[in-house]
Amino acid sequence: MIKVENLYKRYHNHHGSDWVLKGVDFEIPTNVSVGLVGRNGAGKSTLLRLIGGMDSPDKGRITTNSRISWPIGLSGGLQGSMTGRQNVRFVARIHGNQGNIEDIVQRVEDFAEIGPAFDEPVKTYSSGMRSRLNFGLSLAFDFDVYLSDEATAVGDRQFKAKAKKAFHERVGRASIIMVSHSEGILKDLCQAGLWLHEGQATWFDDINDAIKAYHQSTGKQTKGSKTA
Amino acid sequence: MLSTRTPWQVTRSVWHAMFIREALARTMADRMAWFWMLFEPIAMIVVMVAIRTVVLGRMRSIDGADFIPWMITGLFGFFLVRENMMRPIGAIDANKGLFAYRQVKPIDPVLVRCYLEGLLKSFIFILFIIVGTLLGVDLLPADPLGAITAWVSLWSLGLGAGLIFSALAGLVPEIGKILRIISMPLLIVSGVIIPLNFIPHDLLVYVMWNPIVHGLESLRASFFPLYRPVAGTSFLYLWYWILGMATLGLMLHVRFELRLKRQ
Repeated sequence: MIKVENLYKRYHNHHGSDWVLKGVDFEIPTNVSVGLVGRNGAGKSTLLRLIGGMDSPDKGRITTNSRISWPIGLSGGLQGSMTGRQNVRFVARIHGNQGNIEDIVQRVEDFAEIGPAFDEPVKTYSSGMRSRLNFGLSLAFDFDVYLSDEATAVGDRQFKAKAKKAFHERVGRASIIMVSHSEGILKDLCQAGLWLHEGQATWFDDINDAIKAYHQSTGKQTKGSKTA
Repeated sequence: MLSTRTPWQVTRSVWHAMFIREALARTMADRMAWFWMLFEPIAMIVVMVAIRTVVLGRMRSIDGADFIPWMITGLFGFFLVRENMMRPIGAIDANKGLFAYRQVKPIDPVLVRCYLEGLLKSFIFILFIIVGTLLGVDLLPADPLGAITAWVSLWSLGLGAGLIFSALAGLVPEIGKILRIISMPLLIVSGVIIPLNFIPHDLLVYVMWNPIVHGLESLRASFFPLYRPVAGTSFLYLWYWILGMATLGLMLHVRFELRLKRQ
């Protein structure tokens, strides 16, 4: 269960500071996977960062009794100067898995399938390789809720299938909150949907309704182009 | 697995993981890393002794202490402070990718780097003392407990400064560059090369504002039983600085944690 109450967040920059989130309220029940939709800059990644505890809200609060992963995505979570293996070991250590580090390293290595690049610095990786490693890394730990910020966007077919399978195996034990612009994977993995628009969040029990609402809001400007 | 750990256990495991990461980066950065760690102080001492001999000629009398051991203790004490002060400045930037994990705070790499630096510097200093003693240079501290206390105080002084500067440089990057420039003359005004007994009293009053002097003089006093530290050397004054800077540094890290994580 994740309960978000009256959440406000803004970032200060040189052009003033507009609210990214203005009074967001919702509750995600246990074991319900949610797809976040909204246009670029609507605050989807910000919301994920807040849920993941990487940032703190200006107002309001988030309460949970679940173990939540870090936001799995293209940026963050991996230190470029360290090799893939060193990154995995580091994360295993901070999560208190002193005894079975090699076990975790093995699982991540098997999932990521990036071959000898596993022992190269992460900064030399392609975006696909980074997301493979990052995804495999988070799956090596038993979280209740996984946060995915476009983690599957750059993966190839085989990787997407693998990620999907990993989550299907965990249905009932773990759920996912995901930001994605590919509707196929949202419909596949999520039951409920959350549409972010102008700082507000609207909850839909069915992901298809959320996608529909999102389409209707953009349809006014770009007629026909988004109705795929 | 995750929810049952106490905050202290989480912090411990972060420090452990960070220590291994930093130790690897520091000692395995390039093939010569270990060599430079030993060679740098040797080269520094040789250069300083050369400068001193040329500039001050035969006049090398320091009451109660041989010139070379006096210089070695000063240089090691000074570098302990300076490295603790300067290394944390890059620490937050070098670990930016790891703040994605909410367990890791910007202060962790700072503390770990200072701890690691303290270990390395202590190890090399002890190595110098052993080798020096074998070569017949009198480098054994007369008051070992006092020497350790002074050494730890110097380390704490650097840590306090490191906490402050790592936070400030994280907020305003230019501060890091300015500090690098300012830290150069510190070597001279801290009485590392030239004994402060030689300078006029009017000037000494201001020089003694610098807490590093108090630490270095205490360190030397514990090494050489007949050495008379500069008038006004006070352990209490040194610890006012240490506690003051550590408090300010910790406050900055608490206040600006999220801003340091972000950028």
